[in-house]
Amino acid sequence: MNKFFTNKLSIISFIFIPIIFLWHPNWLGLLGVQPYWPLFWLLPWSMINGSFNGLVFGLFLGLILDSLTLDNNFSQIPGLMFCGFLFGRIKLNTNIFVGHFRHGLICSFGSFLCGTLHLSQILFKNFSDSNILMFISGIKNILAEVFLTGLFAPFICSQLLRIFKLSRIKLN
Amino acid sequence: MFDIRRISHSRWWHKKKIWIFFGIFLFLVFVRISKGSLYKDFFYFISKPFWPGQFQKEVILKSIDQESLIKLNLIKKDNIRLRKILSLQESSNNYNISAAVISRKTGGWWRQIILNKGSKDGVEIGNIVIGPGGLLGRVNNTSLFTSSVTLLTSPESKLGVWVDRSQTNGILVGSGDDYPSLILYSKDADIKVGDFVSSSPASSLLPPNIPIGIVQSIDKTLQSKKTAKISLLAKPNVIDWVQILRKNI
Repeated sequence: MNKFFTNKLSIISFIFIPIIFLWHPNWLGLLGVQPYWPLFWLLPWSMINGSFNGLVFGLFLGLILDSLTLDNNFSQIPGLMFCGFLFGRIKLNTNIFVGHFRHGLICSFGSFLCGTLHLSQILFKNFSDSNILMFISGIKNILAEVFLTGLFAPFICSQLLRIFKLSRIKLN
Repeated sequence: MFDIRRISHSRWWHKKKIWIFFGIFLFLVFVRISKGSLYKDFFYFISKPFWPGQFQKEVILKSIDQESLIKLNLIKKDNIRLRKILSLQESSNNYNISAAVISRKTGGWWRQIILNKGSKDGVEIGNIVIGPGGLLGRVNNTSLFTSSVTLLTSPESKLGVWVDRSQTNGILVGSGDDYPSLILYSKDADIKVGDFVSSSPASSLLPPNIPIGIVQSIDKTLQSKKTAKISLLAKPNVIDWVQILRKNI
């Protein structure tokens, strides 16, 4: 049983992303915005398993998270797929200290990318309506999300990366 | 003499991994089509120990006082008006379902709450959700144990409302921030800061006279419409218990 959990830890942690996404703890947020949780899992997964796996699991994550939100204004699939592909091209860094900061920066960039894609989809859908108001709140969301994602990524991504590596070594 | 055909083992359909991925993909498509019902119900069970208790007394009492006062005034006026126009719907007197908020997204990209009552308890898509203070939103999706509510602040939300003082109909549109926009399709519409906004008697989605909010600021008049920012009376970011109006009108 223990061996099963160690081997499948990456997949088990994948199942918990939507739970955290639904949980949405207010005390972790800024201006009502949360860090973009799926990126914390997608980054280590793609770094270890490569671009193709990142792309596929970006699609899987997008499908689940889209089903949990009522919003028909935008989909999270394109952003997550693109991030999964992009993260897969990043090489692992042996320097632990540099690695922490790299994770923060990469996740911030990923969150900016996803946020911009969300906003462009919203603006495209509501082209005729009062765009300025949506644009301002969208920019606020992107900035807060980028900041929070970059802040938490070094803690979460590094741990997940270590766990995924360990389970992979044990598997081999 | 004869070429011996080699039996290939490298065809893609021989790879177990591809079938596993295909299976996962089909499952996720099912999750997507069922709008995450499985996940929401799973979340219902694991979040059960953390459901909100009966606190927030101050916030709720204050909002209830405000609501009752406004409602009383509205009902008086409405009664007189309805006596004149008998064809309009009567004020609703529906059976309510009390529900706790188990997931809350009130800021950021998504503006929705998930309640711990679902289709099993008789909640239906389109049911109205009210909290201390007034209207919160409408049920957009239900699973067996949970229901998801689109908040008034969501860009998805568009509802017919009524400015009580000038008796003008308008549309309340969520703009992705905490203050939805009221759009009145008349350049000369009489609206002031502090005006009270409630659900419209002409709306086909809401029962009449549910308190919604107060006009906070009026934007510049654009072409043939007037827009204003509305401060909502019910605060979805602090409310833990809500009422679902069971009967659709």
